[in-house]
Order: sequence, then C-alpha cells, then structure tokens
Amino acid sequence: MSIIRYEQTQGKSLGFYALIAGLGAFILAALAGVYYMEHNGHHVTGMSNRIVWGLPHVFALFLIVAASGALNVASIASVFQKKIYKPLSRLSGLVALALLAGGLMVLVLDLGRPDRLIVAMTEYNFNSIFAWNIILYNGFFAIVAVYLWMMFERRMNKYSRTVGVAAFTWRLILTTGTGSIFGFLVARQAYDAVMMAPMFVIMSFAFGLAFFILILMASYKWTERQLGDAIVNRLSNLLGVFVAAVLYFVAVYHVGNLYLVENSGVENFILVDGGIYTQLFWYGQIILGSLVPLALLYSPATRGNRTMLGLASVLIIVGGLVQLYVIIIGGQAYPMELFPGKEILEGYGGIAAYTPTLAELMLGLGGIAVSLIAVTYLVKFLPFLPESLADDVADPHHKG
Amino acid sequence: MSRLLIVFLSVMLSSVVAQADHHIPNLGEKATEFKDEGKEAHKRDGMSHAASLILQRKMHPELLSHKRDKTLRQGVRGGVVQLSKCVECHTSVDKDGEFIPVNAPDQFCSTCHKKVGTSLDCFSCHRTTPAEEM
Amino acid sequence: MKELNRRDFIKTTTATTAGVATIASGITLTTYAALPKESNPVTNEKRWGMLIDTNKLTESNIDDMVNACQEEHGWGNETHSTGDQQAGWIKKIKVKDKATERISNLALMCQHCEEPPCVDVCPTNASMKREDGIVLVDKHLCIGCRYCMMACPYDARSFVHESLTNQKTHMPRGKGTVEACTMCVHKVDKGEAPACVASVSSDAVIFGDLYDPTSKINQTLKKVQSTQIRADLNLNTGVRYSGI
Repeated sequence: MSIIRYEQTQGKSLGFYALIAGLGAFILAALAGVYYMEHNGHHVTGMSNRIVWGLPHVFALFLIVAASGALNVASIASVFQKKIYKPLSRLSGLVALALLAGGLMVLVLDLGRPDRLIVAMTEYNFNSIFAWNIILYNGFFAIVAVYLWMMFERRMNKYSRTVGVAAFTWRLILTTGTGSIFGFLVARQAYDAVMMAPMFVIMSFAFGLAFFILILMASYKWTERQLGDAIVNRLSNLLGVFVAAVLYFVAVYHVGNLYLVENSGVENFILVDGGIYTQLFWYGQIILGSLVPLALLYSPATRGNRTMLGLASVLIIVGGLVQLYVIIIGGQAYPMELFPGKEILEGYGGIAAYTPTLAELMLGLGGIAVSLIAVTYLVKFLPFLPESLADDVADPHHKG
Repeated sequence: MSRLLIVFLSVMLSSVVAQADHHIPNLGEKATEFKDEGKEAHKRDGMSHAASLILQRKMHPELLSHKRDKTLRQGVRGGVVQLSKCVECHTSVDKDGEFIPVNAPDQFCSTCHKKVGTSLDCFSCHRTTPAEEM
Repeated sequence: MKELNRRDFIKTTTATTAGVATIASGITLTTYAALPKESNPVTNEKRWGMLIDTNKLTESNIDDMVNACQEEHGWGNETHSTGDQQAGWIKKIKVKDKATERISNLALMCQHCEEPPCVDVCPTNASMKREDGIVLVDKHLCIGCRYCMMACPYDARSFVHESLTNQKTHMPRGKGTVEACTMCVHKVDKGEAPACVASVSSDAVIFGDLYDPTSKINQTLKKVQSTQIRADLNLNTGVRYSGI
C-alpha cells in the first residue's frame, strides 16, 4: 500500500457549476417554502393538531440519523483499525457534518417560531430529550470538527484514534437520543418502546452508508479519479449487512408489539389495514427499500456492478425516508388510547388525515440539497478526497 | 478600512441621535390627556419626573419581562407594571373613534422600536388595543 | 429539635426572598408614589383541581362549558385553520363501554397533571407547572416545536396555525406557539372559578383546592368513587371524573 495523497477537487468544470446551480435552486425553493409557511402559519401545511410533525420532520430526522451513520466509515478505520477504510475517513467526517447541518436546518425552519431559535440555546430543560439532543447535535459538530482537524494536521495525526473513539461513542449516544425522542412517548402506542433507540442506531448505519457510497462514487466519477473495486465491494457488503440488520430490528419491533394486546391496534393499522401507511410499509420500506437492495447487493447477476450499487443506495435512502414516514406520520395518524376498554363515539379518534404540501416537500428536499452543496464546496476547498483509491493504492493486501 | 470607519461612525452617530431624540411624536390618546392635565406619568419617588421618564424609556423591556415571568410562573398579579396598562394609555384613536393597534406604523411602540431597530415581539400574541369593555 | 418540613422551608425561604427583594428594589428602583400592590406568589399549599360527574353532566352542560371557554379565551374562530388545525382547548367526548354499551358524555381538556409529560419533554421550559398545580405554556419561551403535543396523552394542546389579532387582554395567543386550557388561571388568581365550571349551574362540575379538607371538591372526592383518565400512566391528574 502506498502513501495516500489527498487533493482538492478542481471545481471549475461546467458540471461543477451545474451541480451547484441545481442544488442552489432546490435550496431557494426550500427557502420560498419556509417563507410561505412561516408567513401564513402552519395552516398552509398538511400538519394539524393531530399530525403535529409532518414531512419536514421525516426529512430532518432522516438526515440526522444518516449523519451519525455516515461517520461510521471513519469509525471503522479508527476504532476498529481497518486500514483500508482509513483513506475514506476525511470524507466520512465531512458527509456526517453536512448531513447533520441539512437535517438541523429542516428541523429548525419547521418550528412555529424559528426566530426564537436563540431561546433553545439559552433555556434548557434538562429533563427534555429534545434538549439533550440539542446538546448532542452541537457536540457532534464540535467533536467531528476536531476529529477532522486531527486527521488533516499531520502533527495531530497521533491523536486521531483517540478522538475517533470519542466521536464514535458520541454518535452512538446521539442516535440513541434521536430514537429516544420517540421511545419515551408513553402516550402513543406506536412509539412507547425502548426498541426505538437501538433501531435508530441500526437505521443510521444503513442510511448513512448509502449516502456515503453515493457521494463517494459520484465524486470519483465526476472528478475522473480512480476508485478501485477493493474498497467499493467492501462498502457494498457492509451496506448489505446493515440493511439486513435493519430488517431484523423492524421484524423484532413489530412482532414484539403484536405480542402486547394494548399495541395490537396500531400494529394492525401499520401492517394490515392502514391504507397508505400499510402500502408504504410493505411496498416502500420492506420491498423497495430493503429486499430489492439486498437482492441487488448480493445476487450474482448484479453484484459488483457500480450502477446497481448506486441504485441500491438510492433505494435504501428512499426506503429510509418511507420508513420514517411510516413511523412518524403513521404513528401519529393512529389515535391514542384515551379510554381503554371503551369506544369513543364522538369528539376524538379516527385516523387523522395528512396530505403533505409542496412547501413541506421542498423544505425537506432543501435539507438534502444543503448537505450536498456543503460537500461539493468543501471538497473543493480542502483536501478531503484521496487523489486515487485504485486497488494498488488503497488495498493493503493488494497483490499486483 | 476607511470605508468601515465611516460606516461605524455613522452607526454611532445615528444611535446617539436616536437616544438623544426625546420627542415622542405619538404618545397615545390617554397618555396625551394625562400629560395635558399636567400630571406626571411614570413618576418615581426620589427622582425627578424627567429622570423617571428616561428610566421608563430605557428600562421598560426589563420591567416588563421581569413582571411577565412573575405573573405567568408565580401568579403575581396587579402592581404597576402591566402590558395591558401600557396599551390602555398609549393607543390612539382614528377618525371613526376606533383604536389603532399600538404596534401599527407611527404608533407609540413602533415609532421608537423602528428608530432604534429593535424587534417588538409582544404583540405577536398580546392584544394591541385596550380591551373592549373599557 | 424541630423538624424542618418542606412547607415550612418554602415559607421561610419565600419570606426571606421577599424581604431581600423589597429592600433591594428600594435601592435600585425607587417605588411609585401610590403603589398598587402586587399579589403574593402562589404556593404549593394549594392544588387546584376539578371533579366532573358524568352522571349529572348533561350534553347541553358540556356544550355550555365549551362555549364558555371559547367566549372566555377567544379561541375557535380561526378563519384559515381547517379540521384538526382548529384550536380545541376543551372537547365534548362521548364514550361507550365495550362490554355494557353504557354511554357517558364528558368534557376533556388539559388534565393538569402533577407529573405532566408536556413539561418533561419541553426543551425550553415553556411548558411549565405552577406551584399550585396549574399547567401552562409560557408563550414567551415557546419555539413551536410541538413536542409537548406529541407527549400529551389527552390530545389537550393546540398549535396556533395562523396569525391572530384582537385577542383577549388576559389571554395572549399567537401564531406558531402551543396553547391549552389554563384552568382560567387569570380568574382563579382573582378568587373566581374557571369559566367552564361557572357555566354549569348544577354541581356536576366542582372546582377547588384538592388539598383543602374543608373544600367541597376534597370532601366529595373522599365520598364518591372517581377516576383519572389514563390512570395507568401515573400522572396524578388535577381533573378527576366520576361516573365513567
């Protein structure tokens, strides 16, 4: 294995500017959507007093979860000492920061009073899992920034493993915290489960890696750098394992819930007769987002094919968004059990309606665009990407 | 550099002018009456009326936010500092005898807040005119 | 040696704090000439509560309660909000027992829990509980994250989905913040009963201090069988029901 040399991307091509312009257009559309929602109030969205968190939260939580997962590649190199992943560590840290920034932007801009964001920084309720998350998000930014510095600065390299372990620990806590936002809502049958926290951790592994693979392949293709099969195939295998793990957790979660009679109603709703939510669950999350990618990653016909890996990653991302949609919106749509043993005839109950609006969708997509534009710009200004990841450079066991 | 200096100086100057400008164009209906009767509003013990007014002008955000926390969180009611009383005296009436919201352009609150460029967030929730029954 | 219990401790500290505050305010801000007195802070010697007897409560009583609440606080005439976006501080609920088919009607609002989930989850301390047990939203601190609405087991809170004007003087309400039943705290502090309670002429709804052994609500609760909604959550609600 030869020495890895990192180099900025040139960022002068027509393609670069087209990419920036395209992403910029999405961000502008998102800002227009935000202005529309905040100026009029949330009555112009599909959200209501029953569906209090809508499509923006789906995107926000997806990006936040994916952010912590994107750091995994760096963690595998530093914490688990797998040398082959080492050259990817810088990009891994960058993607993690960018995804978190995008997710937080969406979360903040969907607040009822985003102008009061400062209050969230000055007034802490330490009983609130949300407040812990604010600390965890800020801490993640700080710790990953330090981690990147340790990796960039040669004389600091010796500390990068220590900081890497700290970052890995922090990200596990962060995703646990994100999952716990739902896990401790005792009032709602769909959420009240400690399983939520580890499930979110596993989800983050899959979603983050899918994002990372897409960004890695695209940046190497568009900058005409070499990316060898040794690395890509390993990432591909890892992605498959993570997707299978998510499936396992989803299965345990739902089977476990079915076992509790008090939760059988909401389970029945999601799995059998929930209309759009049932369809999204089976067709979107399970088939399109899990089984098809697994087939693409492991079947002999498509295995090792970069296009198919890209397709699988896209499907995992779409499936992940669908999964969060089912969890967040589906979980709210099903009414709370106000009077166990009684049927509510009037005043509350029924499945809450929710139709996302264009403004909400644009805000969510804008969050993804912010993440991608941050990566696109920063790889131009700082040497995040190795100039080559060809097998003879990257693979410590390469025989050539 | 010199451009920055000019910007800085003009900002300084304008803030001095804003502070020094004690003329309030629109006191509001009741407050004007009160003043015309020669009564000394916001007068505090041991302080000249002019000094009391300056104190009121400078400290009203602190007074209000201190009282708001006491009222909302501890149930402390009454006393002199009440936003509804500000609104009661400092609103104006239009030609038809209808109250003009106190945060409308050129009204009591907004005139100064606009001049010194500070936000005015009370009235995103609070009533901007005296209560109907008054 | 005399044991210092919690109530005494609070009394002493309150008195000391009040004393220090009075002296300190004399130094920093000289007082007005004729100073209208401020009332004392509320204490945890009281806990306000409500008992709703669904056997006595008629459907028109409930409608009156809802109307009184709307009238008092000015909610329910939002022009742009539709369906579930409309504010609903107090709701009329009709339930049927699955086994006996018995139907009960009741009014459901913020239950003013002793351990309110909304207060636990609020990141900015905007959701808060007063010493006397009334749960409120401090709209000065509310950033509109709506986590409290996710956490509330009673669907008691509403989010203001549009700009509002012409609010009641005693009830500020604004776009982008969360609101709910305040147990008419502005009336309770004046020694009056909440608007919904006052609108029912029978004793189907009793309001009072749960701790005071001489209060009607305390005495009634000792006599009759009452329940809390979602008692399994152990939130120890301030609003109790009998007859369901």
